[in-house]
Amino acid sequence: MSAKIAECKVVQLSEVESGKPFRIVRISAGGEIRRRLLDIGFIKNENGRVIREALLKDPIEIEIKGSKVSLRRSEARLIDVEELD
Amino acid sequence: MNLPAHRVHRRFRRRHGLSGLPSGQKFYRIALAGNPNSGKTSVFNALTGQRQHIGNYPGVTVEKKSGIVQIDDKLVEFIDLPGTYSLSAYSLEEVVSRDFVLNEKPDVVVDVLDSSNLERHLYLLLQFQELGVPIVGALNMTDEVEAKGVKIDSEQLSSILGIPFVKTVGSTGAGIERLLEVALKVAEGQLSSQKRHLNYGKQVELAHEAIIDTLMLDESFKERYSLHWIAVKLLEKDQDAIRKIENEHRLSAIVLQAAKDWRERLEREFGEDCEVIIGEQRYAYIHGAIKETVKISRRRQVVDFTENIDRIVLNRFLGIPIFLGVMFVIYQITFKLGNPLSDGVSIVFTHLSLFLTRILPSGPLQELLTNGIINGVGGVLTFLPLVVLLFLGLSFLEDTGYLSRAAFVMDKFFHIFGLHGRSFIPFMISTGCAVPGIMSARVLANQKDRKVTILVSPLMMCGAKAPVVAMLVAAFFPDHATIIFWSIWLFGWLMAFVIALIFKQSLFRGAQTPFVMELPPYRLPTLKNVFIHMWGKSSEYIKKAGTVILAASIVVWFLLSYPKVPTRTNDVSVENIPAIEYSFGGQLGKMVEPVLRWAGFDWKIGISLIAGVAAKEVIISTLGILYGIEARLSTDQPHVDFMVKNEIGKDQNYSPLMAIALMVFIMIYIPCIATLAMVKKELGSWKWPLFQAGYTLLVAFIMAVGIYQIGSLLGLGG
Repeated sequence: MSAKIAECKVVQLSEVESGKPFRIVRISAGGEIRRRLLDIGFIKNENGRVIREALLKDPIEIEIKGSKVSLRRSEARLIDVEELD
Repeated sequence: MNLPAHRVHRRFRRRHGLSGLPSGQKFYRIALAGNPNSGKTSVFNALTGQRQHIGNYPGVTVEKKSGIVQIDDKLVEFIDLPGTYSLSAYSLEEVVSRDFVLNEKPDVVVDVLDSSNLERHLYLLLQFQELGVPIVGALNMTDEVEAKGVKIDSEQLSSILGIPFVKTVGSTGAGIERLLEVALKVAEGQLSSQKRHLNYGKQVELAHEAIIDTLMLDESFKERYSLHWIAVKLLEKDQDAIRKIENEHRLSAIVLQAAKDWRERLEREFGEDCEVIIGEQRYAYIHGAIKETVKISRRRQVVDFTENIDRIVLNRFLGIPIFLGVMFVIYQITFKLGNPLSDGVSIVFTHLSLFLTRILPSGPLQELLTNGIINGVGGVLTFLPLVVLLFLGLSFLEDTGYLSRAAFVMDKFFHIFGLHGRSFIPFMISTGCAVPGIMSARVLANQKDRKVTILVSPLMMCGAKAPVVAMLVAAFFPDHATIIFWSIWLFGWLMAFVIALIFKQSLFRGAQTPFVMELPPYRLPTLKNVFIHMWGKSSEYIKKAGTVILAASIVVWFLLSYPKVPTRTNDVSVENIPAIEYSFGGQLGKMVEPVLRWAGFDWKIGISLIAGVAAKEVIISTLGILYGIEARLSTDQPHVDFMVKNEIGKDQNYSPLMAIALMVFIMIYIPCIATLAMVKKELGSWKWPLFQAGYTLLVAFIMAVGIYQIGSLLGLGG
């Protein structure tokens, strides 16, 4: 599995296309935003999926820990993920 | 504050007006906790029925619901804690929840969990357990999980976490009796619920123990708080816990230094923020517990009902039109159904007032009763149908889960102005009436967003400003009435956005608040829950806002009716003056005329604008009085409108340019007294309505003067 991970490049969550699954690598937010992300289930090595985006591509809907969560694109930019296929 | 039993009893009696508890009767307090969307409200409703008391937590505007129920020989008070995801110090709701548990020490905390999302819901439960209070877990909505073929071994979960779990279905009431039984057993000490905290792993535990050792140095501090909890919070760098140490621990410097050293050490070892390390350890622990207790017995392909709806409702292109459609329906229900009811209430009170005028001897007492009190009470009750219907709509939006979707589709646009997607709802409702509009600002979870929204919502053209603007448009722009009326309507929206942006850049500056928000699965609300929600809000409106609106409208009535025109006088000049012209308000209107002249207004308009603070539609009837129309005609509203329109249109002092300045002024200036009273009620202090009255008056005046002066310079004043 580690070989497979190595092939994936790390991108910001805001770059992941709708419908694509991802794994969280790092979260570079701080303060309240960091805490909110943590409380709602954004932690290292957690898998999730981008579901869709709103009209102006912002905010975006993410599936994580079995529930659906909405994030602004500016918040998604703070989360580094690797795309899974 | 750990109250001894007899003080609890006394306070309880005082609050609930009971003459006393029969001796030997036991009194327990059970707090209800849980994530948003855990079904906590329906569990609370199932436990308390309609015996609910809605208030605020002391000193803050966070709503507190409680209810008292007699169960056998016991009296039980249920307290509904705010729904939160965590117990950090970042939000008011979270601080309120944990302070309630720490200070008031309820006998049991019942934590309601959504069984289909155990991981995130247990994350909160463990944080409550850490506060050092007995916990009972309610595995709610088990019907949904079991339908999906998932089995939760609640006994196994109990033994792992050391606390009792009961399976419930809040909406049908299944399992509620058992939940209550278990909670009471725990309260009485017959059933144990461990207060131990989870294991955070070797390194964190080491730091944790070391901090507890320093905390133990103060004997009295040990009595007040769960040291486990304080130690974890210090590791998380929780600002509120640090404050507690600074203020209450005798050796605060030693404790804080130790906490800092350990934090730095852990952060070096893990290469992560301490708060994150602890959060991740919590999740890891929960993950282990779930692995052992949740079994998927048979995999059943279920249709993802929520995703199917969202595919349409959150579609990039359909999302906004669908949302506008939903708002249109709510708006229509509130106002198209509510306005005739409001008019009905208004008519009943007018007749009551007329009846009393006939049967009572005339004099100040009769006037106070009819014009002051009865009109005031009528004013409060005319809003009631709107409030009831609005909350019918809102509770439907909220309980189904659509409200978060509304925020999702509208957020981008509102965020440009520093607002939240949900701000659309109070804005929209305020175009009908700002009183329910301001109440609906509760859909905003963030206090800053809520304050800004409340401060600007009354800038919309409401149902009371509309006839005034329509009258002015008809008088001065008969050929372009429609386009000018709708331009003024849009102007209200524009002002709300611009001023919100200014506030966000100045008064409410600060770190951006996270938008991170759950889109919960769609659920059908039960009739019972919707009804309880509506009933609670409506009775709260009458009790809390009603009294303030009543008092304020009596004050305004007094200022517009006193002093009286002297009845017997030789001074011919006062003989035919309408009473309002002679009153305090009238005198003020005349006094400020020189200033109002800059905007092209005369004293008649001055007095009408002052009277308009009572309610905006009063501007028309006051102008009517000042033109001596009401003396000639019946008080039939359309007739007054029509007559005033004719009089104003003919008045040589007024020009279309002045009319524009006046309409702009009316749109912006001081919200009506009922709105201001509502703002006070919602934001908990007179500071906010006073600020709102001040800034709107200033902006209205500057804009009206600007329009009139620049227009005159350009030669549009003719």
